Amino acid sequence: MDSQQSHIGASRNARITRYEPNGRQPRGTSADVRLSLPARPENVAVIRHVLGAFAEALRIPPEQVEDMRLAITEACTNVVRHAYYRESEPGPIDVIIRPDDERLHLIVSDRGEGIGPSPDADGPGLGLPLIAALADSVEIQPGPTRGSRLSMSFTRRPHVGAA
Amino acid sequence: MTAEPSTTVSIASGPLVGPILRRVVGMLAARADLPLDRLDDAVLVADLIAARAPAHSVDDKINVALDPGHRSLRLRVGPLRQGGGRALIVDAAVPGVGNVIEQLADELSVSPEGEAEFLHVRLAYSNGR
Repeated sequence: MDSQQSHIGASRNARITRYEPNGRQPRGTSADVRLSLPARPENVAVIRHVLGAFAEALRIPPEQVEDMRLAITEACTNVVRHAYYRESEPGPIDVIIRPDDERLHLIVSDRGEGIGPSPDADGPGLGLPLIAALADSVEIQPGPTRGSRLSMSFTRRPHVGAA
Repeated sequence: MTAEPSTTVSIASGPLVGPILRRVVGMLAARADLPLDRLDDAVLVADLIAARAPAHSVDDKINVALDPGHRSLRLRVGPLRQGGGRALIVDAAVPGVGNVIEQLADELSVSPEGEAEFLHVRLAYSNGR
């Protein structure tokens, strides 16, 4: 565990950890999908749809796909609502979907304000705890220059009826 | 042209390119208010790019930038290796049908950029189609 991380919350399944600068950076592999879209509400549906297609192709059980879709929806909605609230036009949401043999990793980044207290925050603040409840691990890191990077991973369950 | 960042998708070559790209293109074509027949055309072009582009990409990834406009959708495919843009179009020919991308696109061009090149495809709604 990186000595520079600080624990900022916990829930049923996952600890949420925040990494300080110089923390570990998620690494891409040759099997990943990267999406970058303007941080607009309608684009959250595109990301959710792509994740669904990806997970179905990997034969991940439908109930786990729904957990993943809900978690990424929350993460992307956070970016849409908070990351660029100071700016007249939204910046990008960057999403990486990265499978390995045992897990599916989802990384949602912004290049704006990042995750943290926001003066425009008027919601109940359930997004991160919900993500933590759905994912097997959650990490929050600062972006390379601005913003933050939310990494979630899900242990892939076997598809019922799989050979 | 707006300052808003365009949508980009980068997919590792393999069986997931088609399912991912067709969904992104389909959703953005719908967002651009393309009618159903042109939306189908856009998805067909996406499938052809997914099937043919890996052979011409400079690396193991398929990169596509998408720019939905008013009843139009622009795709920028690449970086492709030199000659890859034209080769991708040629590869999209179907026996007995002809070149599908050329027939469906309203605009089709290849632009060099450094040692690579990019394929540009524009699909639009036209009453006269």
